[in-house]
Amino acid sequence: MLNVPVRLSIRRPSPTTVSYTVSNAPSRTSFSAQATFYVTIILRVLLAISALAVAVAKFTQVSGAQKVPGAQILFESTSLGTFSDGIATRFSWKIVFPAVAAIIYAVVQKGYTEESLLVIRGLGIQTSTSSSTYLSTAATRFIPTNEIRDIFIHEAFKGFEVRFYLAVVVRGEEDVVVVFPNLLPKRRMLEDLGSRHASQSAGISNVP
Amino acid sequence: MISDFFFPQPGSGIESHIYQLSTKLIDRGHKVIIITHAYQGRTGIRYLTNGLKVYHVPFLVVHREATFPTVFSFFPIFRNIVIREQIEIVHGHASLSNLCHEAILHARTMGLRTVFTDHSLFGFADAASILANKLLKFSLSDVDHVICVSHTCKENTVLRASLDPLMVSVIPNAVVAEDFRPLGYPANPAENSVKTRGPLPPAHPLGPHETITIVVISRLFYNKGTDLLIAAIPRILAAHPNVRFIIAGSGPKAIDLEQMLERHVLQDRVEMLGPVRHEEVRDVMVKGHIYLHPSLTEAFGTVIVEAASCGLYVVCTRVGGIPEVLPQHMTTFAKPEEDDLVAATGRAIAALRSNRVRTDRFHDQVKMMYSWTDVAERTERVYKGISGALSEEEFYGSHPGGGWSATRGRAGVQGFSLIDRLKRYYGCGIWAGKLFCLCVIVDYLILVFLEIWAPRKSIDLARDWPRKKPIENGIVDDREDARFPASARVVRRRSGRDGWRDGRVVDPG
Repeated sequence: MLNVPVRLSIRRPSPTTVSYTVSNAPSRTSFSAQATFYVTIILRVLLAISALAVAVAKFTQVSGAQKVPGAQILFESTSLGTFSDGIATRFSWKIVFPAVAAIIYAVVQKGYTEESLLVIRGLGIQTSTSSSTYLSTAATRFIPTNEIRDIFIHEAFKGFEVRFYLAVVVRGEEDVVVVFPNLLPKRRMLEDLGSRHASQSAGISNVP
Repeated sequence: MISDFFFPQPGSGIESHIYQLSTKLIDRGHKVIIITHAYQGRTGIRYLTNGLKVYHVPFLVVHREATFPTVFSFFPIFRNIVIREQIEIVHGHASLSNLCHEAILHARTMGLRTVFTDHSLFGFADAASILANKLLKFSLSDVDHVICVSHTCKENTVLRASLDPLMVSVIPNAVVAEDFRPLGYPANPAENSVKTRGPLPPAHPLGPHETITIVVISRLFYNKGTDLLIAAIPRILAAHPNVRFIIAGSGPKAIDLEQMLERHVLQDRVEMLGPVRHEEVRDVMVKGHIYLHPSLTEAFGTVIVEAASCGLYVVCTRVGGIPEVLPQHMTTFAKPEEDDLVAATGRAIAALRSNRVRTDRFHDQVKMMYSWTDVAERTERVYKGISGALSEEEFYGSHPGGGWSATRGRAGVQGFSLIDRLKRYYGCGIWAGKLFCLCVIVDYLILVFLEIWAPRKSIDLARDWPRKKPIENGIVDDREDARFPASARVVRRRSGRDGWRDGRVVDPG
């Protein structure tokens, strides 16, 4: 499996909480990397706007301008309007709409996954997996301390390989909750995290 | 260790062979993992006693728990396991296991030493055997060493796979003699050794009218001789009034057996127990005096050793490797036919009635003959021999002018270069040879592709079972989904104690 290297970063928002974040996003510490990142964001937004404009232009052409008030003025006065109007007239709607949909889909893709584990001492843990697009929010799950029966690292078959995973046994649930289910970091990282997890939440590990 | 046949499947000899051998090898300081396919409700990775790790690889099962032969599909995951566990020797078991044959092929492609253990005998005549033999020839063309459970089995395997007899060793099965004690035998013989206990008490003599119980424990299949048993039971019972049978086991022939009982109205003299678990076999055996083993083909026949260990006199057919298993005074042999089986059973009953057989001594004698520790030692020697730790003369003996083929480097140790391997496979047959060569080349290409696609260094190495460190009891959890390596827990616990307040933040990335 061609794995993008996974990084672990640890934050301490408060003295009693630790957040472990595992991410396969490229590191953005240098100035040039950050600049590239923001430029990409701006480009993405511009691309999305123009794609939407083309879609609206095509829609007005197909349905008739009267039905969309104000559209006529927009497409005649602004340069973006005339550009998208030109594209919309050149291709049939059968090409335009799928193309616009594909562009929008590509633009909102994040291209990386970020999964985190937030440990709050005496309260519980929260796992979260970032969504694959910019539009939706991360999927999170909170497990209170008294629901946790055990935490372990084990191995399992995943695709054509055997991977390590960190899992939480929740009281009254048949399946375990796998932490970092998509990225599945390496054993060294999990063990390191596991040992620190124990040190952070000694209360949790003493629960029978 | 790799085989299709492993627990939780109710075991014939192969499963317990693999388990016992692995356990003893671990005791001798080796690292052993077992790869088998997934069973109903058992997929994934498990730890057994002593840190024996079992990979239940999810695969399609076709017939009697053997997997479907898909020559290459197993390679990626096999390579992953081999690399992460840092395997050096691949030891396949059972000739009907496709997983084992595939693994041997892939292991050779990856440049590992391979051993194959054959547990069964095969014919040469029928279509299925021809196919199976061809497959065997394919995978054994390039194996480093073969182990057979008896000399008959060795002869059979050498002929089937056209092997050099020198690269085939015979290492018999063994039994855990402590699990097969006769009734009244002390559980802890150390306290009651011969010195403290004095000479053995005389055997309990059998009265002339005392009932003799004959035990039969076998899976009721054609090859286990159930038809022979069905024919023989009424005649034996008619000839000997104070005799009864206990039959344990299940299988397709059970219905025939029951029909026979009803036809001859023998229900009161023949007890059918149905399937028994391996742990219960001893409890069934000690109820009897004679063990009847009518098998038509048997490579070794562990069960008759178990029976003798329980202090039973053994009546068995003279087939396969059975005559090698027990000494003369413990057995009566019969030809695999009805008349002779009845006669042999009659002889055995007469011998018991005249108290000529000291069955009470069988247990100690069997204990001297068969032990898994011994099996593991001999297997270890094979491992050393193929990996070059033993010199050629020491391992194979001196054979001046021995006809080693040109494709071999050091005698008996097969070279890994692709062209040498192809030469060996090409000799398999006019068409088969070319087909096998093609398979080997494809396998090699897959390996090259895998090295690019999933580079060796990106594969996470698994932790070894912590052998030296004493582990706190109760760490291994019995829950279904929580069979985790204790090592992970140990790490967690330890740092839980000393790193609790210092709050270091170290990024391992």
